[in-house]
Amino acid sequence: MEAKKKWSDLSWQEKREERFKRWLSPTDVKFVSREAEKLYKKRVTRFIKAVKMEEPDRVPVMLPAHVYPAYYAGADFHTIMYDYDVMRRAWVKFMDDFGDMDTFSGPGLIPSGKISEALNSKVQKLPGIGLPPDSSSNQFVEGEYMYADEYDLLMRDPSDFSIRVMLPRTTGLFESFAKLPPLRSLMMGAGWVGALADPDIRKTFQTLMDLTDEYKKWQAAVAEIRDIAISRGYATMFGGGPMAGAPFDHFADMLRGTRGIIMDMYRQPQKLHEAMEFWLNLMIDTSVKNFPMTNCPIIMMPLHKGDDMFMSDKQFETFYWPYLRRLFLALIEEGLVPMPFAEGRYTNRLKQITDMPRSSVVWYFDQTDMAEAKKILGNVSCISGNVPSSLVMTGTPKQVKENCRQLIETCAPGGGYILTGGASVEKGNIANLRAMMEAAYEYGVY
Amino acid sequence: MEKPENWSELTWQEKREKRFAWWRAAHGINFISKEARAKHDARIDRMIKAIKIEIPDRVPVNIAAGSFPAYYAGYDLKTIMYDVEKMREAWMKFARDFDTDSLGWMSPGNGLVNDIMGSKVYRWPGDGLPDDASMIQFVETDYMKTDEYDAFLDNPTDYIIRYFLPRTYGVFAPLAKLSPLSSFMGVSNQMMMAAGDPDFRKMARTLLKAYNETIKWGRVAAECTRICREMGYPAGGGGIALAPFDTVADMLRGTHGSVMDMYRQPDKLLEACEKILKFTLKSALETADAGDSPMVFIPMHKGDDMFMSDKQFEKFYWPSYKKLLMGLIDEGLVPSPVVDGTYNRRLEYLRDLPRASVVWTFEKTDMALAKKVLGGHACIAGNVTGSLMCTGTPEDVTRYCRWLIDTCAPGGGYILSMGVSVDKVNPENFQAMIKTAKEYGVYRK
Repeated sequence: MEAKKKWSDLSWQEKREERFKRWLSPTDVKFVSREAEKLYKKRVTRFIKAVKMEEPDRVPVMLPAHVYPAYYAGADFHTIMYDYDVMRRAWVKFMDDFGDMDTFSGPGLIPSGKISEALNSKVQKLPGIGLPPDSSSNQFVEGEYMYADEYDLLMRDPSDFSIRVMLPRTTGLFESFAKLPPLRSLMMGAGWVGALADPDIRKTFQTLMDLTDEYKKWQAAVAEIRDIAISRGYATMFGGGPMAGAPFDHFADMLRGTRGIIMDMYRQPQKLHEAMEFWLNLMIDTSVKNFPMTNCPIIMMPLHKGDDMFMSDKQFETFYWPYLRRLFLALIEEGLVPMPFAEGRYTNRLKQITDMPRSSVVWYFDQTDMAEAKKILGNVSCISGNVPSSLVMTGTPKQVKENCRQLIETCAPGGGYILTGGASVEKGNIANLRAMMEAAYEYGVY
Repeated sequence: MEKPENWSELTWQEKREKRFAWWRAAHGINFISKEARAKHDARIDRMIKAIKIEIPDRVPVNIAAGSFPAYYAGYDLKTIMYDVEKMREAWMKFARDFDTDSLGWMSPGNGLVNDIMGSKVYRWPGDGLPDDASMIQFVETDYMKTDEYDAFLDNPTDYIIRYFLPRTYGVFAPLAKLSPLSSFMGVSNQMMMAAGDPDFRKMARTLLKAYNETIKWGRVAAECTRICREMGYPAGGGGIALAPFDTVADMLRGTHGSVMDMYRQPDKLLEACEKILKFTLKSALETADAGDSPMVFIPMHKGDDMFMSDKQFEKFYWPSYKKLLMGLIDEGLVPSPVVDGTYNRRLEYLRDLPRASVVWTFEKTDMALAKKVLGGHACIAGNVTGSLMCTGTPEDVTRYCRWLIDTCAPGGGYILSMGVSVDKVNPENFQAMIKTAKEYGVYRK
């Protein structure tokens, strides 16, 4: 009998095959029927072949649904933040009504209303919490939460910085944490006891404990919907859970803000490089290495500030790509599949992102020119995109189908293409989503 | 203390004078009598002169009482670790009966709090040691593993929370379940999840219990300190620090681990020392600023003659330690290291520091040699030994103290004291030591 090779001795392709096997045969799923199980395997196989730039039976489709099921069921974002039963019914109704989809994800990105109120985040506005109740999406509030001279502070002790500086600045509930003593002290056993003396800190912990039941309820509801989707045979694309994005975006989105980061590129480029290098290594060491075996090896990574209009080619080449590339390589080395979602336009970038191992990444494009993408990346990686959201929301089914046909004709030949929207839609005619599936059946068969 | 506005423009000597003046002023203390105030001022003047290597009225004397006050009051260590009223009684009796120049006692840990917290780093009578044990035992081991330097260096708070605390305190075991806390984005969800986890809830309840106990204990300790100060004892508690190498060797890697690291991963070890230096200095300065005394206590362990070679001392121990001392000195503080073991081979290094900036207390170091090398350069203190105190007669103690005074006191810069603390001792031996300083230690013009 052949001895099984040690994980660390496997090549990245072999590791990925192991993860694909698990994706194909998840250990903790009970399918509703043999038929569902067969469909599940078929759908996952479709995605795996696309990732590997082989030809599947047909082009796989990811519907840009996000919070759409809520509106389809007559509810809205705000309602399902508070009423998890409505949320569950909406998602189930969508599955019931829609039928065949290659993948479907639960409402994991819709936060709980009660918890969000208590957290009082200054970074995230939500329907009814900083936004009008009838808003159909959340709003990130970018700001200079970390100041220009605080890079060293972050690098000296990132968790200290995150707990005692960033949390109090960004989240109302944690304002009291600014009063905590440094938690790194080796004799901190006694210090923790002392910290509890502060009534504000106690109140924060009390609030957290009071929220527990709500959090469990929310978590259970989201997990239930996700389990229902898989048990019905829809492939899951979210195996890794939320992952950090590009190192540059970490500093630009979360910490320094757009204005701050641009200033830093000119005024303290070395500091920014040093910090990204530090952050990248920290991410790799703590979150990438020894990544557990999950039900899906795809790692979704929304990208923001590298887009064509935000920075020059040279800046992309200097500040953005080297760190992102190394993060990709680290993920790939673990057998994972990075799926960067390039928000905005990446047409200029295409030539800059080709230096990756063949078929190791799936690029998901928003407004990038897909013909260019196919031309430049066609031999390097699987690409995915990009029916405009505006079209899906306001166009006719015929227009949508036509757009999909063009995309398939342009991108599908030879394999390595996933049909999807440029961004998710919240509202609109369900026939437009059906049109996307129909296009795949009709034009996408290899 | 309150710093003047131009603090950053002052020299270290000027800063120190401000701290000395603050110390001597004893703000907020209602002395019980004029004599108490006079005694207080005389004690502080005596200490300041010794520190500055000037000639005081007499040699100052300090005794390191350890758990002695418990036995002196008719109890034992366990009793006063668990009964706060008896702790108070022992403390007060000791403070009244032994007239030294600084308050030589701090209450030992609160046994009940240690029990509640499930400390794995200490053993004490009542937990891990026999009931009649007279000292607390530190349990050294490699709480940080060989391959964990990077995890500690890159993200110290994360490391301490998720690795070190669960390994050193029973109560913190649940912290090992947390994911990395590097980005603030994920922390609130993690905390919510933790708040619902029965293990974390138990941890919170346990910490609250410990907190309530600590408050009870702390109230009595604060009261005892206040009374002692009103009786004329100078303020203590200006802060505590550890040499960076000792932090690694005592707390993180243990003796075994740190010796291996000197050979197998010297660079990581040095990097850790530099990192720890920054944290230690920052927290020592904050503690000192919050208190009234300029003295920063530094127990020293692994740099001793027998633990490492001169070359190792020079490479691993001294550079970061010297920076720590300089950092404290620059802020006008007076580092007061207590050097466990023997430092005969190290004395020359200590001359690298500015004159009259540090008080070195020695345990087994040859005091004649210490005076020869450091005399006129740094104030030295020591080294009445534990064995002499525990087994000698008052006459033996007097004889040795006289020898010490003859050897070390000329020219100033000497404090008669012990290098270790003791437990069961004939009280007459302490009195003999104090009496010798008062009578034989007088400087005559």
